[in-house]
Amino acid sequence: MKRFQLFIRGISTNWTGTLGVVFTTSAFLLFVIFELLHVAGILTNSYVGLISYMALPALFIVGLILIPLGWWQFRRAAGHSTSELLTQRFPDDMTKAKRLGSSLLGTFVLLTLVNILFLGVGGARMLHFMDGPEFCGTACHPIMEPEWVAYQNSPHAHVRCVDCHVGEGAGALVDAKLNGLWQVISSTFDLYEKPIPTPVHQLRPARETCEKCHWPDKFYGDRIKTFAKFGMDEASTPSFSTLALKVGAGTGEHAGTIHWHIAEANEVRYLAADEQRMVVEWVEVRRGDEFHRFTNRVLDLTTVNHPVAAENKAMRSMDCVDCHNRATHIYKDPESAVDEAIAAGRISRDLPFAKRTALGALLGNYRDKDDALQGIDRSVRGYYNRTYGARAVAMGSDMEQMVGELQAIYSRNIFPAMNVEWNTYPSHLGHQDQAGCFRCHNRDMVDEQGKAVPYDCTLCHSILAQDSPERFRFLMPAGEKDPDRKMHLYLQQEFLGSSQ
Amino acid sequence: MKRTLIAVSVLALLLSGAALAAQDGVAGKCMTCHKEKSLGLYNQWYNSEHAKHNVTCLDCHHADKADVDAFQHEGAWIATLVTPKDCGVCHEKETKEVTASYHAHAGEILDSKDAYLAHAAGGNPVAIAGCESCHGSKVKIDPNSPNKLSRLSWPNSGIGRLNPDGSKGSCTACHTRHAFSIKQARQPEACSKCHLGPDHPQKEVYEESKHGNAYYTHTDEMNLDAKRWVVGVDYYEAPTCATCHMSATSKQPVTHDVGQRISWTLRPPISVTKDNWKVKRKNMQDVCLNCHGQVFVDGHYAQFDGLVNLYNEKFAKPGLALYKKAKEKKLGDGTANFSNKYEWIWWEIWHHEGRRARHGAAMMAPDYTWWHGIYEVAQHFYFKYIPELRKFNDPDINKMIDEILADPYHEWLNRPTADIKADIKSGKTQAMYEDMYQVNTK
Repeated sequence: MKRFQLFIRGISTNWTGTLGVVFTTSAFLLFVIFELLHVAGILTNSYVGLISYMALPALFIVGLILIPLGWWQFRRAAGHSTSELLTQRFPDDMTKAKRLGSSLLGTFVLLTLVNILFLGVGGARMLHFMDGPEFCGTACHPIMEPEWVAYQNSPHAHVRCVDCHVGEGAGALVDAKLNGLWQVISSTFDLYEKPIPTPVHQLRPARETCEKCHWPDKFYGDRIKTFAKFGMDEASTPSFSTLALKVGAGTGEHAGTIHWHIAEANEVRYLAADEQRMVVEWVEVRRGDEFHRFTNRVLDLTTVNHPVAAENKAMRSMDCVDCHNRATHIYKDPESAVDEAIAAGRISRDLPFAKRTALGALLGNYRDKDDALQGIDRSVRGYYNRTYGARAVAMGSDMEQMVGELQAIYSRNIFPAMNVEWNTYPSHLGHQDQAGCFRCHNRDMVDEQGKAVPYDCTLCHSILAQDSPERFRFLMPAGEKDPDRKMHLYLQQEFLGSSQ
Repeated sequence: MKRTLIAVSVLALLLSGAALAAQDGVAGKCMTCHKEKSLGLYNQWYNSEHAKHNVTCLDCHHADKADVDAFQHEGAWIATLVTPKDCGVCHEKETKEVTASYHAHAGEILDSKDAYLAHAAGGNPVAIAGCESCHGSKVKIDPNSPNKLSRLSWPNSGIGRLNPDGSKGSCTACHTRHAFSIKQARQPEACSKCHLGPDHPQKEVYEESKHGNAYYTHTDEMNLDAKRWVVGVDYYEAPTCATCHMSATSKQPVTHDVGQRISWTLRPPISVTKDNWKVKRKNMQDVCLNCHGQVFVDGHYAQFDGLVNLYNEKFAKPGLALYKKAKEKKLGDGTANFSNKYEWIWWEIWHHEGRRARHGAAMMAPDYTWWHGIYEVAQHFYFKYIPELRKFNDPDINKMIDEILADPYHEWLNRPTADIKADIKSGKTQAMYEDMYQVNTK
């Protein structure tokens, strides 16, 4: 033990050397303590990982660099040779030559081995930590906050960021770390865009990421989905749209379904006019020897946002993300967020004009997040107290629940610090609020004969209810006098005839 | 033989049933998409009388493959254009009436002065977006257009549209698609898409009149969406355009021939009575009498006839004679119609100001009758038209002008004011017009 004390004293030649020793030693000791606490289950906060696996190894390395730097300065200042200085700094018995080298050399070699071991363990722990979602989500807080929050609320919340964004192998790791270097610089010097643009061009190939879990053989047939929508009336009357989405596997019996686009036998390729791939110039299908191209006959490049320069235009084969572009990073539009909350009972329809009030509070013009959270509270309580006077007392708990839910919706979707507002990131799934499927499936995407890509409603989904009072309206008998009787019967037949 | 007959008829029944079922399927498909893509249109229809009577998309929009405007859309042969012929499948009487009416001929104006002026002085774009939007276009076919209609003639709901199937008119000119609301067609706004402005301000005239005033006060009480809408019975607060010109009274059925109650034509340079004018006037008076006494009605017509005759005799006849003479002698530097200033002056006198005066008197709008009407006619006649014609220093024209100004109607220009005032006071001036308060003057 004495030997180590003497060694440490010996290498603490000047301020630089001393600082190096302090850094190295304290980083090492803290790391060991944190790791022990972590193993013991006392430390669970994920932010500690930032310190123990990022800051401490970094500090350790800085210390290790400072020690020889200090020695070098010391030697230059003293003007003596290293061996002279060694005898001067360390007791004679440590520098005395032995059969296996001097005791000083032994100490040096031993500590170096400890360092290498520590750096190995620390480095591995660091890489492991950097593979964890907490690192991705919080290291660059608040830049990643929107995506981090969206991710935690998504169906992929238990899949690590790196599983999709880094991929496997040393090459991917090096790529990611080099890329990360630029991100460290841009976040340090505030060089990043707000909101962060969707990195459509840097995404890893879906075949290597998505298909690790979702491989086409395991796709299934129709998926029946009901969307509840609530009215702006006093009772927030519900209406339902139920779709049997012809998702399918794209192969075999279910060939003519939505996943046909990525089935192995077909290749769908397109040329996008803009960076975000919202405007399609042409789309073509290759299937064996078969080839069919549809061209956008009304394309006006002057109206395209962020057009791709002619020399950068590149054809792309469709894969998962061309439709599922917000898988995981899902932002809701305000109305469907409120509708979902009401449907799930998180906002009570016992409150009069619940939908209208909730949506109004959510869409207020707020300065920042604090203002929004307070504003939502003021807006909801203010409305009910003002309008219903004494009767509002009985609404207290429902009001409280509504405020809480709306604040949660706001916090999950809106990030003023990053300029993420409602619908900042459009989703390509479906076609409700954004072009989605209609980017290609529209009347102006025509082949040489002028025939358009099919775009009729029942191509991709049967319709079992559409803003209807019942969830499966069109599966029930049609009323003799219903104006929409013909549509009702048609949709019933269509579903029964096409169900897979 | 009998068995064959039965077999054939059973087969025919089956086939027609199948065809009907297939068409039902397609109509169901139309709605499926259009409920999403054009929800407003769908909802207009859904809440319409058509929907209540099971009239769906293809009942109006189906087409024969051979029709020039037919195109294939999602498995059906359809046409965008729905013509009076299509509407007439169910609305037979209305189609017949409207086809016989002056409205149905409004599209045949391509040779008229109005269309000449729009094309020559204006240009085709204004002829399309202006004139033809009211009068109706001659629908052109464009094989490259998705719905086979040229974009220069579609959209167009002009009331005299010349349709590819040979029919004339467009029911949607008044019965706005796709609600086809009876209430909307009965309101003055249905007519005032076209009947307004400097040359025929019927809408403004109506608004100025007591009729308009009462209507805007009582709109909500007028049962405008009632199926039966008989004046005096189902409503009595005020008449709308439809009330007087089309709608039912206790004695008359509703008619879509808007000319059936009009005795004067107030359109041309010189007003004339229409064919069979006595019957037509009686038809109109039958409407008036629901709210007014016969003496009141007779008095109104006397005043109205007086104004029309005043315009005709004092300004229109001499003005037109001068115009014809100047044209005949090819006076002025310009060779074409409307290439000389005097032609524009005369045009505005009869086509704008003279009509305003006549319409004002017909529908009881005093300000239009005088300030926007005869006042302008007189001022422009004396101080624009005659001086412009005098500039030619043509002996025939000068002689005509001298004669006109020597006429008792016009000789006031050369008399002392005091004398004129004395004549007005004594009633001598007024006496000049004594025989004007009836249809046939002099």
